[in-house]
Amino acid sequence: MTKPTPLPLQRSASRGNFQSGQSRPPIGSRIVAVSPDDGSAIDLRNPALAALLSWCLPGLGQIYQGRTQKGAIFMGAIMATFLIGLWLGGGKVVYASWKPGETRWAFVCQAGAGLVALPAVIQSRHLNGSARQPLLPIAFMAPPLSAGQYVSREYAESLTESDPDIAADDFFDKPPLRQFRGDQLSIWHRRLGKFFEIGTLYTMLAGMLNLLVIFDAWAGPLGTPTDEDRKRHKNATDKNIPTPT
Amino acid sequence: MLSFQTLIYGVLIALAIPDGLPVTPLLATLAEKVPGIFYGLPLVALASLIFAATHHEDPAEIRFATVHWAVWLGGILGTVFVAVVLIGWMA
Repeated sequence: MTKPTPLPLQRSASRGNFQSGQSRPPIGSRIVAVSPDDGSAIDLRNPALAALLSWCLPGLGQIYQGRTQKGAIFMGAIMATFLIGLWLGGGKVVYASWKPGETRWAFVCQAGAGLVALPAVIQSRHLNGSARQPLLPIAFMAPPLSAGQYVSREYAESLTESDPDIAADDFFDKPPLRQFRGDQLSIWHRRLGKFFEIGTLYTMLAGMLNLLVIFDAWAGPLGTPTDEDRKRHKNATDKNIPTPT
Repeated sequence: MLSFQTLIYGVLIALAIPDGLPVTPLLATLAEKVPGIFYGLPLVALASLIFAATHHEDPAEIRFATVHWAVWLGGILGTVFVAVVLIGWMA
């Protein structure tokens, strides 16, 4: 773990009022957090930027703050879980859909994993937009087609060729488009079985746990001692009695 | 940074191109044979690790807290599981 920068313990007034010095922190002072382990100061640099980076790629905010080992732990653990979940779910479990009755609420949690879930939004917007086909040439993270949905001829042909569960006669010919007459979500459930739910769970949990990582980048480690903790610690030290934990 | 993102997207696309699970048949076969409940264990480990790492900075403390959280989470979930099995058995 990178040795925390030895800075005076100061925290912005709006975020904790943590001050151990005799004077108030100067305006523009660096925002730091306190390590719960050894009480050393951690330079958070620009907390908002760090939080944004941690959303974009889990752990990147911590790396930006110089906490590289911790950032690597976050990045490895969360990205691995997300990718394993995506693999278990056959690449189908991460998609965005806001159609009434078919809203994919799981994506709200999955989006917490950051940019890795962004293709789902792009694919959904393009498939439901005027193009009637996803932006990427493959159906990666594209929402499932519902009965009666219109798609472009190119996308219909691509699905027919790439998906063994979809045949050419699963589409009505409605020039210049084609109309799907099946239910692709049911096809996915039938093919993947329990792995659809397991993959969804993995990717959701990865996204939700990344919220803790984002908070860690923004405000430092949870469990940072409060003013009361420090007063209690100081009193205990002055009186030479054990510190209550 | 851009090349790293490209790599991530490349891996994602490579994972998603084949239909369904048989990306690597051996792993897929193995995944099929594992009972569903065991898929929860990595999630308990992951949650413990993230909880621990967001509460500590020192690697030794993170390791210790990970075990601590894993025991607590596993204990609680195990208790719930046993209770559900017992209720099902009695019913």
